[in-house]
Amino acid sequence: MADAAAATSTTDPLSAVLYQSLDVVQRTFNAIPGSAVLVRYVKSSHQNDPYRTILEVILIIFAIRTLLQSRTRAEKSGKNFIKLEEKEIDDLVDEWIPEPLVAPLDDTSRTELASVPVIAGASGPKPKLVNGKTVVNLASYNFAGLAGNESIKEKAMDTLRKYGLGSCGPPGFYGTLDVHVQLERDIASFLGTESAIIYSQGFSTICSVIPAFCKRGDIIVADRGVNFAIQKGIQISRSTVRWYDHNDPNSLEEVLESVAKEMKKKRLPLTRRFIVTEGIFQNDGAMVDLPKLIKLKLKHKYRLILDESFSFGVVGRTGRGLTELYNVPAAQIDILVGSMANGLCSAGGFCAGANVVVDHQRINGTSFVYSASMPALLAVSASAGIEMLVSTPSLLTTLHENVLAVRSVLDKLDCITIPSHPASAIIHIFIRSSATGSTLSPSYVPTFSGVSSSANAAHKPSNPTSVLSRDPEQFDIAAEERLLQDVVEEALAQGVLITRAKRLRGQEAVEPRPSIRLAITAGLTRKEVEKAAGVVKSALIKVLGKRRY
Amino acid sequence: MPSQPSSPMAFPPPGFSKRKSAIALPPQSTAVSYLTALQQADAKARSNSASSAATVSTLSTPALSTSSSMSSSSSSATTVLDDDPYDPKHDGDDGLSRPAVPPTSEQVFSTIHSEFGHCGNQTYRHTSKYSGGAFDPANSHEPPYYILLSTYISYIFLIVIGHMRDYFGKKLRSANYKHLMPSNGYAALNSDFDSFYTRRLKARMDDCFSRPVTGVPGRTIALLDRTSSDYNATFDYSGTRTRALNVSSYNYLGFAQARGGCADAVEESIKRYGISACGARLEGGSTDLHLQAEALVARFVGQEDALITSMGYATNSTTIPALASKGCLIISDEFNHASIRFGVRLSGASVRMFKHNDVQDLEALLREVISQGQPRTHRPWKKILLIVEGLYSMEGSLVNLPAIIELKRKYKFYLYVDEAHSIGAMGPHGRGVIDYFGVNPRDIDIMMGTFTKSFGASGGYISGSTALISRLRLCSHAGPYCESMTPSVLTQIVASMASIMGVSPPLPPASPLATPTRSLDVAIVEKSFIGPAPAAALPTWLSLPPQLRDGSEGKERLRRLAFNARYLSRALVKLGFITYGHDDSPIIPLLIFNPGKMCLFSRMMLERKTPIVVVVVAYPATPLVTSRVRFCLSAAHTKDDVDVLLKACDEIGDVLDLKHGDGERWTLEEVMRRATELVRMP
Ligand SMILES: Cc1ncc(COP(=O)(O)O)c(C=O)c1O
Repeated sequence: MADAAAATSTTDPLSAVLYQSLDVVQRTFNAIPGSAVLVRYVKSSHQNDPYRTILEVILIIFAIRTLLQSRTRAEKSGKNFIKLEEKEIDDLVDEWIPEPLVAPLDDTSRTELASVPVIAGASGPKPKLVNGKTVVNLASYNFAGLAGNESIKEKAMDTLRKYGLGSCGPPGFYGTLDVHVQLERDIASFLGTESAIIYSQGFSTICSVIPAFCKRGDIIVADRGVNFAIQKGIQISRSTVRWYDHNDPNSLEEVLESVAKEMKKKRLPLTRRFIVTEGIFQNDGAMVDLPKLIKLKLKHKYRLILDESFSFGVVGRTGRGLTELYNVPAAQIDILVGSMANGLCSAGGFCAGANVVVDHQRINGTSFVYSASMPALLAVSASAGIEMLVSTPSLLTTLHENVLAVRSVLDKLDCITIPSHPASAIIHIFIRSSATGSTLSPSYVPTFSGVSSSANAAHKPSNPTSVLSRDPEQFDIAAEERLLQDVVEEALAQGVLITRAKRLRGQEAVEPRPSIRLAITAGLTRKEVEKAAGVVKSALIKVLGKRRY
Repeated sequence: MPSQPSSPMAFPPPGFSKRKSAIALPPQSTAVSYLTALQQADAKARSNSASSAATVSTLSTPALSTSSSMSSSSSSATTVLDDDPYDPKHDGDDGLSRPAVPPTSEQVFSTIHSEFGHCGNQTYRHTSKYSGGAFDPANSHEPPYYILLSTYISYIFLIVIGHMRDYFGKKLRSANYKHLMPSNGYAALNSDFDSFYTRRLKARMDDCFSRPVTGVPGRTIALLDRTSSDYNATFDYSGTRTRALNVSSYNYLGFAQARGGCADAVEESIKRYGISACGARLEGGSTDLHLQAEALVARFVGQEDALITSMGYATNSTTIPALASKGCLIISDEFNHASIRFGVRLSGASVRMFKHNDVQDLEALLREVISQGQPRTHRPWKKILLIVEGLYSMEGSLVNLPAIIELKRKYKFYLYVDEAHSIGAMGPHGRGVIDYFGVNPRDIDIMMGTFTKSFGASGGYISGSTALISRLRLCSHAGPYCESMTPSVLTQIVASMASIMGVSPPLPPASPLATPTRSLDVAIVEKSFIGPAPAAALPTWLSLPPQLRDGSEGKERLRRLAFNARYLSRALVKLGFITYGHDDSPIIPLLIFNPGKMCLFSRMMLERKTPIVVVVVAYPATPLVTSRVRFCLSAAHTKDDVDVLLKACDEIGDVLDLKHGDGERWTLEEVMRRATELVRMP
């Protein structure tokens, strides 16, 4: 008895505290409006089926957990809601006049549309346009000259007779063909990565790859000059973004250090961190200093997402891209993205990397999972393209000679500047700002090696949280585009097809400077390329020489 | 039996026997002998199946080698009937390579049976058309309580066991978890929570997903056999193949073909155009073929202009941001496709969802958002864009288009209809839900669709007014940045689309019948947008065989698909299954509920004497409890194929306890016998 009493007395204070706190919980719970209904509901359902309650409680916990994890939180319209009568709503509905779906075309856009070149028949180094004129093509992406290759065509036709055209299903649902698997292997072994995954469109590749890995709370450090697809991928990812000056390793280092400092100061937990940049930049043809980049990424423990859409199939002895050019093992690049459409004259894009990187995308790469796989014959054409690159290194040699030939014609011109790297097969041409005769602002570093640190030193670093650099270069988009279009038309009149780099004005993160974008091909002889470059040169002189501004 | 080269199937089916002379009518003798041969084949097949009850169930064959693509065909023609050089001993056993029943009509087949089935019985046809009346599909069947309970329990088991394995695994075998844990100053590439579902639930049934295949995804498909000795972590390929009945590919009209008029056209286009168009549309990647295909698409869907993008997913994800921006509202069906959600998120517009296909909920939402205006500021919305799909690929449900157009008149939103699955597959003329409901296409502002499905191609289109499309050419992300569609794909689109539409005038050397047909065509054109494609709209080098050119085969395909779709969905209900969606939808989800049964269903289907490949889907693609198997029917299927499928479902359904539907039940025999009656019922 005594023992029992002692036991109760010892447990008493404990249970008192317990009861007290339970009481508090209950009272606060009751204070929540609607809780009575909930209690009644739970009670009655518990009476009907006690197991269900337990299950439901568990499920609710799970639901709440997923909700909290969910990245798309529902809008809270609650506190801002205005109660209206039905009649008032009807009036409001009647009164509401929406804007037109799209703005009607103005004259500039109409001219723009009308000036888009249309090729009649096969594209290639010397296509025929719909107006019947045969031109030399410095506009289309045919870097290694694979377009129109007869042996690739043969293989494609064989494939057609075996597989038909479309795959009629996403990769998860019987859309994975053996030729897709083969192409993935071909790419992986070509680049020297563990594995690779193919997407059915180049543009949509990086758009999906970035958000597959970079989630809310992760950190992306990106170049200010990255292409549109990367911008969109970053936007979807909802990660924290820090920008560094275009192709400036010093700026990158500063940003990496500032992020480290910030993380330390705020005691943020370890998150995934990525550097996102391009091998050769789509917007200006500049080339990244890969060894330096890798050094920085290793030092600061970032993962590197490198978009090689304009260097894969273009630079390096056999077109393996920057890794070949700089002799860096591709395995050092965590996530390497490229385009079979640009580099191999086929279609689609790929992402190469370690097995974990690739396998993760097979479930999380949205445009991989939710889109039909690419037609078999295009996959086979891409495989055949790789085979050509490997077996015929002269393709790339010719390309590089042609690039050099064009550069030697254009580099001397003083009405323009060329921000592109000498090895880049896409060559952008800017109008030199004549007012001051100055070269480009520091945010456009013309070559990768000659980092203009002197120019940088004069400026304070830009704010890494903003995509805009501190002193963006000034240019008159409309006027420059008009002039450049005149150049394009002048060249076309002389039989050379070139194009302005087309932009989505108003949708870009930073408005890229208007430019003419040449795409050099191995499909032309050195003579032909030189001649074409000469035509471009005289068109530039003719149009830009007489301008007044 | 080993004398297979002289198999009846080796007779040159007319129409593609000589690609160049496709226009010439086949000589009568060929057709007759073909039919006789078919009959013989059939007799043989029947005696086969009677005598050999227990033959090998799967057809294992050596891996496809490049040289073996052309089977040894009979001496006379260039015909290739099957690229599958498997052991002839098993040929015909499973009804996959040769029809079980010879055609009853005089119809001559120009297709390979394994790609596009031979079904001559004209009673097995139907027209896909909205008949008025109640719209709601009967999606409200609740399974018995114990099914729900066991489903929840199995998930809980899976989750609990999964967490336990993670917990102990991390302690005991940390090497296997390295990529899930921070190491060396790097955070894990994917956290263990994010990948929990993949590792612990999906991995258990990975053998049912991403099965690699080869060959044409037509009526049948060849699976590459694989086994796993490490619980699906890796697969070993034996190098053999299994040919299976394919009710999984989005091959609604059966245009996934390696032979026939469309494939011939594609081959010609590769010769003429090469592989790639080499660039973005605005930067030197446009060819005349793009313009021709776009004009044809616009005509097909009844709009002024169209824009083609090289990927269906990107059609949504790159166009929607060009249509809406901050200050605009996008209203989206809760089950809209990932590509739409991607585009919506990129656009920066506000988003609201409404309950799937619930017009009342939509109207209530519209009243709320228009009257409330933008959040906080209450400024009126700049514009409201409603995005719906024509046919929902996981639900099999059709959008209630007439009701939505009604709402549109009142609430002035812009309507964007994604017809990815419905274009080609729905409506008496294959023009999608517009055609099915008989509404005016111009009532819809933006029509989107993909070519991956009904047309056996790839990519997608946006169609609408000239003003809209011209603007989109410049403002959609695709114009300057996405690779343009390749010529071969464009040709497949043009050829398949033209053969659905028919070409007018039908044939240059007109047969006596030509005049009446033409005047009829004109009458159709006047009545609505639905009419044949003018011959001038096609590339001059494109020559289609007569049965494609006059649209007769296209019509036949539409009618076969409509029959198959309605037959299967109604038959499954009569057998007692719970299905979702509308009767006329070629996508038919059959509810399985239990995750464990789902993979069993898939495996049992594959292990049958006539193997069948099915798509099973579960959370997160569907709500947690409603795991399902999804059948996608095709015009390439014959009634026999549907019967085979029904038989399989019936047997497996009994084993797995899947028959929980209410309503009248029929036996399998009754269903198969009264198929036409079932389809013709209102
Ligand atoms: C509604 C819808 N839109 C778009 C797509 C994407 O099409 P594609 O597979 O051609 O990329 C799909 C494909 O599954 C879809 O179902």
